Amino acid sequence: MIGRDGWAGLVVLAASLVLFALTLRLEDSPLVPIGPGFYPRIVLGATALLAAWMVLADLLAARRAAPRAARVRRNYALVWLMFAAFGLYVGTLAYLGFRIATLLYVAAVNALLDRPRGARGWARVAVVALATTAAVYVVFERELSVLLPRGRWTDF
Amino acid sequence: MKILPAVACALAALVSAAASAAYPERPIKLIVPWAAGGDTDVIYRTFAPLMQKQLGGTIVVANVGGASGTKGAKEALAAPADGYTIFAVHDSIHATYYTGVADVNYTDFEPICLVSSTPSIVTASPKTSWRDMKALLADAKARPGQITVGATLGSTSHFFPAMVEQATGVKFKYVSYEGTAPRMNALLGGHVDLAESNLTQKGKADAGQLRFLAIATATRNDEIPNVPTLKELGIDVEYAVNRGLLALKGTPADALARLRAACGAAARDPGFAEAMKKQGTLVRYLDHDAYAAFLRKEDGLNKALAKELGLLKR
Amino acid sequence: MFELLGAGLAGMLQLKYLAPLAIGALVGVVGGAIPGITITMTVIVVLPFTFGLEPLQGLAAMIGVYVGGETGGLIASCLLGIPGKPSAVATTFDGFPMARKGEPGRAIWLGIWASIFGGLLGAIVLIAATEPLARFALQFGPWEYFSLFILALSMVAGLVESSLAKGLASGALGCVVTILGNDPVLGRERLTLGIPWLEGGIPFLPVLIGVFAFAQIMSDVEKMGGAASAEQALDRGVSLAVSHARVLWDILSRPFVLLWCSFIGLVIGVLPAIGGSAANMLAWDQAKKFSRHPEKFGTGIPEGIIASESSNNANVAGSLVTIMAFGIPGDAVTAVMLGALTVHGIQSGPLFISQNAQIAYGMFAAYILAHAIVLAILLLGVRWMLRIVVVPRSILFPVVLVLCTVGAYALGNAMASVYVLLVFGVAGYAMVKVGFPLAPFILGVILGDQIEVNLIRALMTNPDPWLFLTRPISGLLLGAAVLSIAAALWQHHRQRRRMAAAGAGDADF
Repeated sequence: MIGRDGWAGLVVLAASLVLFALTLRLEDSPLVPIGPGFYPRIVLGATALLAAWMVLADLLAARRAAPRAARVRRNYALVWLMFAAFGLYVGTLAYLGFRIATLLYVAAVNALLDRPRGARGWARVAVVALATTAAVYVVFERELSVLLPRGRWTDF
Repeated sequence: MKILPAVACALAALVSAAASAAYPERPIKLIVPWAAGGDTDVIYRTFAPLMQKQLGGTIVVANVGGASGTKGAKEALAAPADGYTIFAVHDSIHATYYTGVADVNYTDFEPICLVSSTPSIVTASPKTSWRDMKALLADAKARPGQITVGATLGSTSHFFPAMVEQATGVKFKYVSYEGTAPRMNALLGGHVDLAESNLTQKGKADAGQLRFLAIATATRNDEIPNVPTLKELGIDVEYAVNRGLLALKGTPADALARLRAACGAAARDPGFAEAMKKQGTLVRYLDHDAYAAFLRKEDGLNKALAKELGLLKR
Repeated sequence: MFELLGAGLAGMLQLKYLAPLAIGALVGVVGGAIPGITITMTVIVVLPFTFGLEPLQGLAAMIGVYVGGETGGLIASCLLGIPGKPSAVATTFDGFPMARKGEPGRAIWLGIWASIFGGLLGAIVLIAATEPLARFALQFGPWEYFSLFILALSMVAGLVESSLAKGLASGALGCVVTILGNDPVLGRERLTLGIPWLEGGIPFLPVLIGVFAFAQIMSDVEKMGGAASAEQALDRGVSLAVSHARVLWDILSRPFVLLWCSFIGLVIGVLPAIGGSAANMLAWDQAKKFSRHPEKFGTGIPEGIIASESSNNANVAGSLVTIMAFGIPGDAVTAVMLGALTVHGIQSGPLFISQNAQIAYGMFAAYILAHAIVLAILLLGVRWMLRIVVVPRSILFPVVLVLCTVGAYALGNAMASVYVLLVFGVAGYAMVKVGFPLAPFILGVILGDQIEVNLIRALMTNPDPWLFLTRPISGLLLGAAVLSIAAALWQHHRQRRRMAAAGAGDADF
């Protein structure tokens, strides 16, 4: 029977072997006597060996069939939603521009983590989103001259 | 409700910049393709505020270092040609193109102006026995291929010692040390014997932490009158790193004109010359036409050089 | 040296530097006090602000966060029994019982004063040791650096609680991240896997930000919507009044605990990449071992609090020594500082202190002054801290994540870093779920390129690979690396035999 560590080891092993195969195609460079594939092959070789060790250790370890009693109920749906929101935010940042994307993102996450109830709730979401976006924008772009992304579609 | 005015303020802050005005209506990004604190960075961090004053807009220096300066060049090329991205270039763009490090060429850009020129100096580690260039050459002849030179491979700090090699018939061994600062660390610790540097390192040379052997200019420099030129020593090499500004091809004409005018005025600012003197750098202003001709000439020279050195890859 | 330090202190007292330092300290105290917000995360949030500041202003802010965070962490530890951060875990052992026994003020102020003393003892070593160490580090060629990095990786991997194989694999995976996209020697593309934003290679800061921020926030999110959290149990009317003279006597009458635990914190800090989370546990354990009444530890005695809190602040000084002398981060916080230095073009490494004396002594001054400021903040505002501890997560998390995004973007002014942030945010959470330790992974990402560059440099200078063993310092360092792995193997073996049955631990940062 293979456990969590074993599967993780197998995934790492497979990935490092694939990358190792890719390094064999790297050409040597004219200026450096040692090619760009030299170090990656060492690292990937080591990774593959360690992953194999993990798999072996997992196979040899005595299975403890002790289901932990008081398991914390974990809200994975919320985690997925959070990642999805962040993915959307990052994905649209370059197109909508920092100000629009951030406004939407902060509003979405605030609503996700604390479901708004009634008009007051939605007002809170709007205020949090607006205040955060405005503060970040003013502080960085105006005060600190740190440029923030502009929207390719909106030019805003 | 007290919250309404706050919301209104927030909205106003967000939207105010949208009202469009004449160029430049928002900050211009100046991509410096080297790490902050390097020679190029220091020069442009001095230059940008002066140019900003002329332009009436903000210029933000963005360091996009790495890959012998080609990472920043790629980054600049990927930006829209709207005049809000300009690129701080130096001679290495020709070198990296011909040695095959990157595909970016100067012809992908539109010249704004040439700003400065920094002459190169042959610099030795204090742990070596060479007091002067002659001792170095004698030792190099006796031990071909054993004297180590720290260099950003395929870039100016590689080309300059390679030209010395060629003029004198010696053979060095190159070790990759990208950027002036790591190179100077390695010289100080004696981990390499030799490297290219410039007058910015004068303090360390005075303190005996580095040894200037010869400068690659036509005449001696006033700051270091006792360092001979390579020409005096019968080595026909003159070399300097020239830095200028480029805009993207297709930048609107009015923006380009504003940039060129601002660049020229800033380069002629006496404060800039003063600051550059401390950097061991000469202000060398060329307007865009002269700079275009200069770039063409440099490009030809670099190609020939790469070929002669056996590094030409295209 | 003293003139420089004097100049540094005088300079730091200017509003220009004092303001960021004080704000940093305040943010640090608050961040440290909120359970679930680590100092790493606080410093990540502060990072983008430093881009627009002068280098020393930015560093002052970060040092303020670091010192403030180490001190602020004890508030939650004592009052809630929940450590505000991993380096205050041992503070809960005695701090919480003492608070429960009706002496919350004594517990907190014992911790605060012990932090201040530990930090200032650390400052002495920081100032005295950095320059000689830097001079020593100048002798390091590429061979020595290569071996030092290998030693750092093997030590961190060996410290991992779960399994050595996982710790080492985690470190190796970190190095794998650095081989993707770009070859650091010539800058050519390699192994880009056809992904355009990988072409420039993967910068370490977005990876670090993504891994730490998401691993932490998502681990909190998954527990949301469940049972009422402990914060609500907090009695806001609690009185923290205490006689400071008595607390000071409590500490100064136990000089051995204070000195020995500060020393442990310092040494752990100087060792590359082992953070305060190890220091406070080790210090508490040591104080217990050397005590005449070890059975009282854990019941709420002053020694326990002093041990934990003096060690974690001294640990900060130790980490600063390592980063200033060698340019190697002692933990994730100093890794972010290293990133800030690089953004400002300051080459950390052995020449840092001599070439940037003004900044280096400014940092020393900031470190010393930060303690005074933190003390002032707590004297004035310890009551309000109780309120801040319960700030709603629904506001905190989006703000933190937006600031992480700004930080990643502003780093290279490119979206590529933001995509890296997203990818490694997911990866970081996945690693926590699968039980891969994060510390060795991050260290691998930070050091990977440097390991390669130094390996290639060494071989370009002299193709003889035996030099790694025959050069004395390099050989010693590699020997130490092998020893640390052997020690870890032995330790794990012993542990497994001793406790054959025990549940899997929680994620460790």
